[in-house]
Amino acid sequence: MPLLSGLFYSFFKSLVGKDVVVELKNDLSICGTLHSVDQYLNIKLTDISVTDPEKYPHMLSVKNCFIRGSVVRYVQLPADEVDTQLLQDAARKEALQQKQ
Amino acid sequence: MFRFQSLDEDCTLEKEEGLVEEEDEIDQFNDDTFGDGAIDDDWQEEHKRLAELEERKNEGLGGLGLGGLGMGGMGGGDASTVQLPPPASRVPHPSSLPPPHHSLSSMPPPGLEDRGGGDLAESLAMLILGADPAIASVGGPTGPGDRSTGLPPPPSMPQQHQLPPHQQLTPSGLPPGPLHPSLLSYQQHQHLLRRGGPPMQQMNSHNIWENNMGFGPVSVTPGLVTQMEDSPLMSIIKEVGLPNRPPPVMSEDGRDLSERAPPPRSSSPVIGSPPVRAVPIGTPPKQPMSHAMNHHQQNSPLCRPPFPAGVGPVLSQIQRAQMLNSQVAGFPRGCQGPPLLPGGGGFRPFFGQPPPHRMGPHHNHVPCPIIRHNTTHLHPQHRRMLTQRMQSRGGERGGRVGDWRSRDPYSNLMTQREKEWVAKIQMMQLQSTDPYLDDYYYQNYFEKMEKRQERDRDGVRKEHTTKLITPQVAKLEHTYRPVQFAGSLGKLTVSSVNNPRKMIDTVVTSRTDDEEKREKQVWNKRRQILYTVEKMYSLLLEVQDFEKRFMQTPEEQREALLEQHKTHTLQLYASLREKEWDDRVSDEQCLLIMSVRKGKRLISRLIPFLPPLQAAAVVMGIARNLPALAKKDKQDQALCWLVEPVAVVISSLSSAALTDLLQELQGSEGQLSKVLQNKFGVTLLYLILSEGERMQSSDLNCQLMDDNRWTELVFSVTRELLNVPPSSLSPPLFTPPNLLSLFSRYVDRQRLELLQEKLQISSLSR
Repeated sequence: MPLLSGLFYSFFKSLVGKDVVVELKNDLSICGTLHSVDQYLNIKLTDISVTDPEKYPHMLSVKNCFIRGSVVRYVQLPADEVDTQLLQDAARKEALQQKQ
Repeated sequence: MFRFQSLDEDCTLEKEEGLVEEEDEIDQFNDDTFGDGAIDDDWQEEHKRLAELEERKNEGLGGLGLGGLGMGGMGGGDASTVQLPPPASRVPHPSSLPPPHHSLSSMPPPGLEDRGGGDLAESLAMLILGADPAIASVGGPTGPGDRSTGLPPPPSMPQQHQLPPHQQLTPSGLPPGPLHPSLLSYQQHQHLLRRGGPPMQQMNSHNIWENNMGFGPVSVTPGLVTQMEDSPLMSIIKEVGLPNRPPPVMSEDGRDLSERAPPPRSSSPVIGSPPVRAVPIGTPPKQPMSHAMNHHQQNSPLCRPPFPAGVGPVLSQIQRAQMLNSQVAGFPRGCQGPPLLPGGGGFRPFFGQPPPHRMGPHHNHVPCPIIRHNTTHLHPQHRRMLTQRMQSRGGERGGRVGDWRSRDPYSNLMTQREKEWVAKIQMMQLQSTDPYLDDYYYQNYFEKMEKRQERDRDGVRKEHTTKLITPQVAKLEHTYRPVQFAGSLGKLTVSSVNNPRKMIDTVVTSRTDDEEKREKQVWNKRRQILYTVEKMYSLLLEVQDFEKRFMQTPEEQREALLEQHKTHTLQLYASLREKEWDDRVSDEQCLLIMSVRKGKRLISRLIPFLPPLQAAAVVMGIARNLPALAKKDKQDQALCWLVEPVAVVISSLSSAALTDLLQELQGSEGQLSKVLQNKFGVTLLYLILSEGERMQSSDLNCQLMDDNRWTELVFSVTRELLNVPPSSLSPPLFTPPNLLSLFSRYVDRQRLELLQEKLQISSLSR
């Protein structure tokens, strides 16, 4: 059930509207504003730009994109938008739930 | 499987008994599709041909034709899982089934007059018009309550349509559900629902079978065509133009692809997962085609056969769309995909759909869409933040708003209902009985933010926070029990999406605490500490959530909850305290726990929840062991987390306790100097002194001065402060303002000034 991985979904939901950089497994890095996320951690970004030197010219005209969750390698986040203590607590709760 | 009749040579569907062997047909279709017989026609020609056929048929049959346009979706090798039992057994009318020929139009079946299997049609119509029962319970964009809009019951589903075949289906093990999408071509639906009346009577289940997977690209029932003025096909024909042949019906000018019905889709029965529904979960909704709706809101893909691309459709949807919209309008923000964030009950599609209209001659503008967020399900705090952000960014884009109205070639590929349906399927998975637990991080994050904001802006009234709206439907547990035959080893499992194959049959064996302890002793000591800390953390989290849960539980259970809460708290403290003494914290335990950064954090969060006596004991313990703690903290520098909770405790201490605390702090020889070397230590010291001073100055009956202990202690502190070299005096986290007045009671002026300088207490900070 996707909700069991709800920790990340919950976490990313709180980052909607913030600027993130998504690095994909094909080494493409995309910087944009997180528009939405779903329970599969698919990501929609708006106002994107390719962060690395534009060796991906085919992305020049793209403003918004949808990224399938399974191809994401990293998501770089703004540090001050993350409450690490809360994240730890959420992880603990999730672990407890899993055990039950 | 199907029996159909080849339609190669001529289009006579009058053959009554022409049930052909299925295999031949399949081969034939394969051939036609991929091999020699593959048709490579220009779609325009096909249009032409079709139109001619229509005319012929018009004369021949009159009245309603059914979309005998079944274009061999089944036969064409398409891996459709739609299975129809042999018609012969079910359908009373033995008339021939016009074979769906994938490449060309077919004649509407002659068996139009037949009435057999009529009830099936009726129930199908119900399914067509109603919501997908699988998702009916899920709140969606329009909500279950909105089902009523635009869904009139089929105007005249003829009563004489019986349903014997329908019932016969079930025993054969195949759910009747999957049939319905394919049983009526969309043309039939449209006609059914729009026209009603006499034509309905001629519908025939026989023909339903014929039309299995839909209809050909250019096959339009002549009857339909003539009677439906606003047929989507007609609009295409009109726009594209039929050379040498004026279109029989003039459709509205400016009609574009705003009317497309989804092609009948195949849907697999949900095997092996109870309950088997009449309409399997994978079935998309059908078009509710009320008269009022179909002009504007129906977006039906035009004549798109749902089988391999080798068979030439007239035009792919996109091609058609692009043809009609002469320009590409940038990012297909018109697509109303299901929202990616289906968190709540009342959502709407994300990207707003501008009403489609003809695009003017704007070639060079790249429309800059204002992306609208669906915010109904978000936490109000989050929503506020987002709207603020949007406003600040929207200002820049204001000038280019006009462009968003330009035509988007990808619009209208899905109907509103379809989008809602897909979204609801996603939402199904998010049904949660306890959003607070399942969505812990998100909820708390924004609550914290709100509290922070409230603190910053005192007195500004914020709107009352509402809970996150996730559908509160209880999750129904579908457990699948595999079939087991007596006397056999193992179980027969039919795996499907809903119950994947079980690889390992395991049984959970729980171990007792004793065993665990023994095992742990083998482990690294640090791991043990961490383990203890984690256990305490789970208790702590329970305690933290107590208040929330308390609000939610009904009266009767509150007692029990309260008891539970107390137990938890006691347990927490119990892990800290000395074996026998209740009011003293075990040094050893304390040290152990605080040697880990996590442990320090734990303690700092724990203290506020303890009753005052126990909290004081903990603080004492900390003070007592401060040098050791300080040493262990060199790497982490995490002691400072303790300042806040400790400060709270200190301010609630009695004077005797305060004195005790100060004494503990100074404890052994040389302790104070060590204390002064540590930031936390200095801060703690200042806190104590400041509290003492506050007591003295505010409360005249203060007992602080009753015995000399306090005075003496302060003396020794000041002595130490004066003597200690400045380098080993660590700056505190903050300096309480009333220190100066404290010192002024005990030391002479000269020393006072020295102190002032050393500690950098300005005389202004009173």
